[in-house]
Amino acid sequence: MHFQRTYQRLAAAVLALASTPAAGNQDSDPEATIEALSEHLRRLEAEQAELKAQIERLQRATQEQPESETAARTRPAEATSEQVTSGRAFNPAISVILDGVFYQDDIDGDGEALLGQALRPSHSHGHDGHDHSHGAIDPGFNLRETEIAFSAAVDPYFNAEAYLAVSEEAVELEEAFLQTRALPGGLRLKAGKFLSDIGYINDQHPHQWDFVDQNLAYRNLLGDHGLLDTGVQLTWLPRLPVYTRLGIEVLQGDQGRFGALVDDEAEREAAGLDDPEDGPRLFTGFLKLAPDLGYSHALQLGAWYAHNQQHQERHTSPVSHALEGDADLWGLDLVYKYDSPEAYGLGDWVLQTEYLRESKDLSITAHTGDPGLVGDSRDFLTDAWYAQARYGFAPRWQAALRYAAVGLTNEVSGDAEANFGHSDRWSAALTFMPTEFSRLRLQYTRADILTAPGEHRRFNGVYAQYLMSLGSHGAHEF
Amino acid sequence: MMPRTLVLVVVLLITMAANMAHAGLHVVATTSSMGMLARTVGGDAVSVAVLAPPDRDAHDLQARPSMIRDLRAADLLVAVGAELEVGWLPVAIDSSANPAIRPGQAGYFEAAAQVALIDAGQPADRAMGDVHPAGNPHLNLDPVRMARVAEALATRLGQLAPARTAGFRARAQAFRAAVEARLPRWQAGTEGAPGVVSYHRDLDYLLERLDVASLGFIEPVPGVPPSASHLRELISRLKGHEGVVIYHGFDPPRGPRLVGERLGWPRAELPLEPALDAGPEAYLDLIERYVEAIASAR
Repeated sequence: MHFQRTYQRLAAAVLALASTPAAGNQDSDPEATIEALSEHLRRLEAEQAELKAQIERLQRATQEQPESETAARTRPAEATSEQVTSGRAFNPAISVILDGVFYQDDIDGDGEALLGQALRPSHSHGHDGHDHSHGAIDPGFNLRETEIAFSAAVDPYFNAEAYLAVSEEAVELEEAFLQTRALPGGLRLKAGKFLSDIGYINDQHPHQWDFVDQNLAYRNLLGDHGLLDTGVQLTWLPRLPVYTRLGIEVLQGDQGRFGALVDDEAEREAAGLDDPEDGPRLFTGFLKLAPDLGYSHALQLGAWYAHNQQHQERHTSPVSHALEGDADLWGLDLVYKYDSPEAYGLGDWVLQTEYLRESKDLSITAHTGDPGLVGDSRDFLTDAWYAQARYGFAPRWQAALRYAAVGLTNEVSGDAEANFGHSDRWSAALTFMPTEFSRLRLQYTRADILTAPGEHRRFNGVYAQYLMSLGSHGAHEF
Repeated sequence: MMPRTLVLVVVLLITMAANMAHAGLHVVATTSSMGMLARTVGGDAVSVAVLAPPDRDAHDLQARPSMIRDLRAADLLVAVGAELEVGWLPVAIDSSANPAIRPGQAGYFEAAAQVALIDAGQPADRAMGDVHPAGNPHLNLDPVRMARVAEALATRLGQLAPARTAGFRARAQAFRAAVEARLPRWQAGTEGAPGVVSYHRDLDYLLERLDVASLGFIEPVPGVPPSASHLRELISRLKGHEGVVIYHGFDPPRGPRLVGERLGWPRAELPLEPALDAGPEAYLDLIERYVEAIASAR
């Protein structure tokens, strides 16, 4: 009642205020107008103060002793759907990740660059033009890309997120996508530039990894970023007793590794390669299953398939030649986690492994050594895998071990020699997390990288890393 | 071959989904305290799944796939709120593709929004640890606030299942009556108790309700384990005082043990949450154990 009366008075005052200037004009007496205005203002202020005091009194009364009020017992309690938060108003959630790495190895610092260049039956040389490299680490101190992330609900229908990768040279848009909030039937649609949901580690950002750098398998078959592209994704989470998630993606196909294209038009013409087909050129599908193993254990199994309908390669050795066709990639992934009841991550386990298999169905478009080969088809097959384990051996301390290999299977149709061995690598990491928001890591790596048929380069490397997470609380994604 | 297999799989999934749907409200509670409230108020009109087991720190969980599966099927999510579950619940809600349980919808209910919080509006500075500027979320040990939450929950369940409103309200009132019946005894039992050192700020609501002093914390700031210097400082500050050290099973016991021994105080390891399938009696018995522990300081 009190409120209603006060509002009525307020409304009357506002009306009076609104009509005053017009009256003032007619009278053409500015002083009287100002006088009247300030009188209204004073009255308004007084009313506002009274209103505020009333609200505060009411709030205090309800907060202090809601339980002792007999009135509260008889009247149904209000039930709000509000969420109590630290109140960001309309600002998006912002987080900044600082990532610094120190690196040394025993082959004059050349090792880091070799890790992404393991020899496979066919791979494009130096066409990673679309890749900005998380992996390029120089010997000595490195400031890796600083990730700046924004996320918010756009309206009741869409969420949007944007991730900027800021280096000393450039700012790149790493991810920028919308995702639906309100589709029925367990459906969600994502559109924009985003990390594909194939595999397990593909959609993780570098600061979420258990190691300083990406595993050898992803780094060689998909690039430092994994599969990152522009397009749409549709996922379906049916209502089932077992967590089951299905998804398809239709992507532009703008890739540096899987479905690489030769950018330069003159080069393409010289090599007899077609112009890029209209997008979308890359299609993926994935399935994830997770049986319920109770509160302490969690297991997720995944299978995925990706097809890129245009893939181009140019090679300079032993003789200059070019190939074009399509490429397929499929994979399997398994993640097991044990969540111990101890605090600060003590006793927690994570085991994860993935297998990737790539086949390319190409035909020769140019060959300087033997022009007669033009038009011949070549099928290439290669695979890669990794396995890693992480254990919380003390409060806030983690130890992790990883093995990865590329090229266990190498097959080429036709007369080319493919039996040239594989590359592999061990990594061991020790991570200290003072809090959830900071991370200090030491990593040792021992790599054996195939650089030419039968030629290996073996080296040992060490990394030291800090990761600092500022701003809104990061999500504990599975 | 491929398409036919796919169609088969889809048909199979839809059949399974249809079998799963049954009568009653699916309520998903984040903690076992919230599960207790949902069961107490909802009675046989609800089925309740709990996401966080009682022996884990609810700050630290991951959005496990089976949580997402539970949320997918939920008609109502009952959370503690005030950012207790901020690390995993928002991402789990997003991943569940269930628009009905998003904050702001009738399917979202958080306890913290139904009552007044203590420590609200503190500076949002992580140099002070993993702070909760929205207010202390650990209201589950205040039986009076929980009774208030139960009544709000009854109203909410009544909106979702109007035919059962009377039952929801009656059960919430019975819970309040049970709390009020025990409260004077609890308050008398802890009257004049010298105070408590707790590991984390999760006893504050109970201590305020019982008018017992909080004398300090084992952790120097929220989310950081105690350093030797912090414990030394705590011990020297409390030398000569009486009190009790209370901690939970998931807290490292070294700090509480050291402080208790040096000060000659009793120590009590008590669960922060009632058992997974707790009813109101089990919850009130848990409060009883806290009351006994607090009273044991003399």
